[in-house]
This record gives sequence, structure tokens and C-alpha cells, in this order.
Amino acid sequence: MKLTRRKRNMALITMTPLVDVMMILLVFFMVTSSYLDLDMMPMVQPEPEGIASITTPAPTLLIRITASGEARLRGQPLTVQSLSRALQQAPHARVLILPSGGANVQGLVSAIEVATRAGAENLRVVRLEAAQ
Amino acid sequence: MKLKRRNRPPPQETIVSLIDVIFFLLVFFMLIGRMDATAPFEVSPPISTAGESLPKGGTTISVAQNGALALNGEAIERPALLARITDLLTQKPSLFVRINAHAEARLTNLLPLVTALEQAGVGDVVLVVTPNPA
Repeated sequence: MKLTRRKRNMALITMTPLVDVMMILLVFFMVTSSYLDLDMMPMVQPEPEGIASITTPAPTLLIRITASGEARLRGQPLTVQSLSRALQQAPHARVLILPSGGANVQGLVSAIEVATRAGAENLRVVRLEAAQ
Repeated sequence: MKLKRRNRPPPQETIVSLIDVIFFLLVFFMLIGRMDATAPFEVSPPISTAGESLPKGGTTISVAQNGALALNGEAIERPALLARITDLLTQKPSLFVRINAHAEARLTNLLPLVTALEQAGVGDVVLVVTPNPA
């Protein structure tokens, strides 16, 4: 006995569910993603290997950040000009930033920005220990 | 004179072009968007134009204005945070940590944390900044 397979109609591929799913995915990614353009400042960087440590003590410029967030260099308000002038007098000087504990993050970031613009190569932040 | 409007056949709406556009938009948003875990508190990073471009990935520590901490969007206390970081370091020694601190957060809540992270062995810590005021 020979069984004949019934001919089925070809199922039509409907595009509408595909569009629905893609629309949902689109809305999902639009809503959940953040499109803020963010930058970064390195705080801890891996020490470059192979560079001999400088044995001659480099001159140090100290930038203080007051509790109100104002940066001061040698008692004067810190500006790009004042720091670059000081750096011209003492090239390759180490720039130390000493923040007050009451200062906020914006104060520190602004001071780092000024120092970077003035061309400070060796920039360090004195880290405070938490009062226990 | 009366102009007779020609009867045009209605244009057939092709769904294929719609799919093309939606697919294009989907890929666009997937590529330019950054899917970050948002902190359970408000964090607006400090503004600076001297920042470098932020690479994707890594572990995010958020610091609120009042000093509250969150790790990858989950509120956490400092000892637990350091324990988790030590755990992550054993899995991946080249751990990249970015600190998303509120601009008004006090440095006493930030700098000791950076020191603790460095002592824990994290070699790459960055502070997130906003290049322009949003």
C-alpha cells in the first residue's frame, strides 16, 4: 500500500512579529542605555617598568586645596599661569597636591586639571587616611 | 476648466523597508549606548576638560555625596566592598576599577578608598569625570 503524503500549503512567513520584536528591542536599548559622554582621570596607574628611578631629589611644588575647594600655590590662588611660571623656574619638578579633608572631589579635579594644563609631568596627590 | 484627478493605485506599503530602518536604529543604539549599572543614589561626576577617554568595561564603584558606596550599582559597605574587590582580583589580577564619585563628595570619602584599593592590589584605578556640564 502506498501512502501519499498530503500536500500542505507553504506556511507564509509573516513579517509583523519580527517587526514587533525588533521594535521592543529598540525601545529597550534606547531606554536602558546611558549616552553620557564620560571621561576619566587616572588615580592609580601601573608603574612603568624599565625606567630607573631618579636618584637626584627633584624640586617639589606643593598645591594645597583648602576646605572650600580653592587651590593655592605658595599662598596665592592657583592658576595655569602661576604654575607654568613656577614650572619654568624648576623644570621636571614634582607637583604634589595636598587636599584638605573637607575639600570635595570637584576641587581636586579642578586642581589636577590646572596642573595638567600647566604641563606638570610628575603629579601626585597626597592621600589622606580616614579619621577612625 | 475642471481638472480631473487621475485615479492612482494606492502605494503598497512595504514592511521590508520599515524593518531595515528599525534594524539600523537598533544596531546604532546598541553600539553607541553604554549599559552601566546605575547606582542606587544620585551621582553627578565632577567636571573637567583635562580627562582622557574612558574605556569600556571594568568594575564601577560609586561614591555618593554623603559617602555611601555602591559596587556595580549595588549598595555596599566599605569592608564588604574591599572583600569583593579582593575576590575579583583573584579572578582577574588586571582588574580595572573606575570610581564614579559625586562632585560634592568629600575627599575623605574618596582618597582613603583609593589607598585601600591600591593596597588590595588594584593597579588601575580611574576617577570618572564629565567633560562638559550636562
